[in-house]
Amino acid sequence: MNVNLTINKKQHTLNLKGNETLLEVLRDHLSLTGTKTACQETECGTCTVMIKGKAVLSCITLAANIQGEEITTIEGLAQGDVLHPVQQAFIDYGSVQCGFCIPGMIMSSVALLEKNPKPTQEEIEYALDGNICRCAGYPKIFEAIHEAGKNIVSKGSIASKS
Amino acid sequence: MALTKKSKFEDQYIDPVGKSVPRIEGRGIVTGQLKYVFDVQMANMLVGKMLRSPHAHARIISIDTSKAEALPGVKAIVTAKDTHQIKFGSNEYFFPHTVDQMALEADKVRYIGDEVAAVAAIDEETADEALRLIDVKYEILPGVFEIEEAIKPGAPQIHESLNNIALILPVNFGNPERLMKEADHVREDKFWCPVAHPSPMEPHVCVGQWETFTNKITLWSSSQAPFKCREALAKTLKMDLNDVRVIKMAVGGGFGGKLEMLPMDFAACLLSKKAGGLPVKISLTREEEFTTTRRKHGMIYKIKTGVKKDGTILAMTGEVLADGGAYCSYGPTVLAAAMMRIFMVYKLQHFRMTGYRVYTNNPISGAMRGFGGVQSGFAVESHMDMIAKDLGMDAVEFRLKNITGPNMTTVNKMILTTNGLRECIEKAVIASGWKEKRGKQKAIKRGIGIGIAADVMGSKMYKSHESAGAIVKVEEDGSVYLFTGAADTGQGSNTALSQIAAHALGVSFSRIKCKSGDTEITPFDTGSFASRVTFISGNAALLGGRDAKLQVLEIVAKDNDLNIDDLDIKAEKVIYKKDGRVLMSFDKALELCYSFKYGKQIIGRGSYNPKTTPIDFRSGEGNVSGSYGFEAQIAEVEVDTDTGIVKVLQLWDAHDIGKAINPQSVEGQIEGSLAMGIGYTFYEDLRFKNGRVLNANFAGYRVPRSIGLPKMNSILVETDELEGPFGAKGMGEAALLPTAAAIANAVEDAIGVRIKELPITPDKIIKALKEQKA
Repeated sequence: MNVNLTINKKQHTLNLKGNETLLEVLRDHLSLTGTKTACQETECGTCTVMIKGKAVLSCITLAANIQGEEITTIEGLAQGDVLHPVQQAFIDYGSVQCGFCIPGMIMSSVALLEKNPKPTQEEIEYALDGNICRCAGYPKIFEAIHEAGKNIVSKGSIASKS
Repeated sequence: MALTKKSKFEDQYIDPVGKSVPRIEGRGIVTGQLKYVFDVQMANMLVGKMLRSPHAHARIISIDTSKAEALPGVKAIVTAKDTHQIKFGSNEYFFPHTVDQMALEADKVRYIGDEVAAVAAIDEETADEALRLIDVKYEILPGVFEIEEAIKPGAPQIHESLNNIALILPVNFGNPERLMKEADHVREDKFWCPVAHPSPMEPHVCVGQWETFTNKITLWSSSQAPFKCREALAKTLKMDLNDVRVIKMAVGGGFGGKLEMLPMDFAACLLSKKAGGLPVKISLTREEEFTTTRRKHGMIYKIKTGVKKDGTILAMTGEVLADGGAYCSYGPTVLAAAMMRIFMVYKLQHFRMTGYRVYTNNPISGAMRGFGGVQSGFAVESHMDMIAKDLGMDAVEFRLKNITGPNMTTVNKMILTTNGLRECIEKAVIASGWKEKRGKQKAIKRGIGIGIAADVMGSKMYKSHESAGAIVKVEEDGSVYLFTGAADTGQGSNTALSQIAAHALGVSFSRIKCKSGDTEITPFDTGSFASRVTFISGNAALLGGRDAKLQVLEIVAKDNDLNIDDLDIKAEKVIYKKDGRVLMSFDKALELCYSFKYGKQIIGRGSYNPKTTPIDFRSGEGNVSGSYGFEAQIAEVEVDTDTGIVKVLQLWDAHDIGKAINPQSVEGQIEGSLAMGIGYTFYEDLRFKNGRVLNANFAGYRVPRSIGLPKMNSILVETDELEGPFGAKGMGEAALLPTAAAIANAVEDAIGVRIKELPITPDKIIKALKEQKA
């Protein structure tokens, strides 16, 4: 069957069997390998992408069910050379170690900040509860999100720190 | 010699050592562009899968692969018949008899998950179907799963060793029996340290390709030790080292679990050979990761100590029983480390401890972050607190009386030079408000506890040498390439080593790119383990940077008719040392090197082998590390006595790191370790029934998540290690060692109950409170 997906503002028409997950389509069909997975069973959050601005696990999302919806992956956040404020903050605050969980972590963070640019510590912790990081122990991830939120608020919309 | 205009490299990353420069792979990570082996896609790449034993203990009667081979889309199947049946292991230099695992088992399987065959097919469904079609006939044997059952005479025999004891390791010094008699107080305790699992976010994955005509192998592997991996592959496949290339890409975490190669690494190569050289990718599922990759040793830790009234420790004895699982892996040295780490921490002259590494039909125990030290950290530091309490002494005062100090040689001949343990304790005590809190918050069910620890910076327990190399290549355009064999598994070693090389060369960190862990291109390095990389590989990077600098200065000296000894490069400029004059910029000096006149390529090299002696395992003596790191950790907790829930309010970790090459990265290591320590204290507990893992997923095996972690305070103590690069020591593991004990000690302070078996669960607290009342 033909499936039309809008990923990072780009249209893709794919010939699929119908049982493919979004994760499979991203990684295996479109070589968008920025989206990772560490369990393939919804427990790690590593495969998180955004659909219509909401953080969603691509490992349990059927690609055929989300035709026409706006899908954003880690590859779609930066504008040209300029990183999204959350991406930049993750670098500046030393929030990354091995980096494998980070694409999913960033997508969950962006989804949170787009709704709520000034989250409390508790709100951040709850928003990231589905994303496991095994290296960094979280404090530097929290710092980055607080900081990125400030940046988003100050400019009124998602705009990069120059 | 006119000055040229300001270089683009005269930026904030000049003199990078000591600065929190951002991760060298940072942009790649946050944009998803950094490639892990997990992301490798190649034309005609086959999907490989392992066929695993469903039985904990069985004899292999026959393996029939004919039906699977006939399945369309199946390209290769391998069994033990396709291998040389050469065993591999990780402690072959000191304990050759513990080399006991085969790429694919031929006669017997010893745990649920043991590899008996592997398939390569055009896609995952076909590979899965092929696994189902392989017919293995087993004769099921009785299994044994508990340490204390396995060592009983008559227990099922897993390998050839008597009573399933793979290794007995005695450590004896002085005359502890005599000193025990002289002691005013003797205390004996027994602890249980459960099985944790490294569970890196990227499960084990590899791509193997065997170029059949040239007979060369390339393995892309998510490895902590690519050169060890090459060695094991070459040995078991009967190849020359240079015919095997192991490429480490970005590694999605290791924590010890990726230190050794696994049967899948051999299988990918063998399958590729059979499939005519097509690349074969094997990715483990999370379930396979939990059930068939190396886990932390479960340990029964018995310890007895005799002290004088004033708190001086006179003697210590003990026994450690380690559940090794089906094969030896790194077990012998983990066991040794679990017993001998204590010499770095406490002054001991009379000591006797015996370790037993026991085979069971459980999955294989091996290295995991802490390497025996997490288990001993919990046991020893809990025990120390209890002795202090018996004596009516403050837990800090008792420790200060017995700790090691600088410039001290331990009873087993470890040479401690810089030693910031006392300073760490004092700083943690002040920062945490110990004196105001200890024993004084019982009314609100709050308590505070301490644990201390020490760690090696590398360990010569594994190999005849432990050297690291570095190449610092300076290009014509002024960019610098650092080649290091060290394996960055996420800890940030590429960044730290680049900082060291740039600083040594006298240039900005912005010039540097780093290539690490490719056995064909980069110099040899034993790998990322034993917190060794900053110290050992860092020294190689330092020497490489210095060598490159001298090569540049040689040309400057020649061209200007100056003495090279009078020149230096600092902060992007060539300096005349006698009067501090700037002679020219680094760029200008490079122009000269790469001029028509000189045409001199700048290729610096560094090789460093730490000044150590191997441990003699008969005596237990040896200076295993070129430097030692120390720390003190304090935990404050609050206990809900109705539910049994312990909440950690804050953690303080004061750490002697010599010199922080990158303070932000050091804090990251501490925070990650503390989180892992909290996991081990409260819930990381891989559980088994008859050899089957009961919680082989992230729902059942909980790891720390974002909710409810305490505030973590890192206190960096810089002792300026003479032997370290710019004074640095390593930092990978130590902060994990005393966490469980610090928390258990804080619980005792809060509510007066002592938990001796991890994890500390609500039901254990409730049970202990009931017993306390009774």
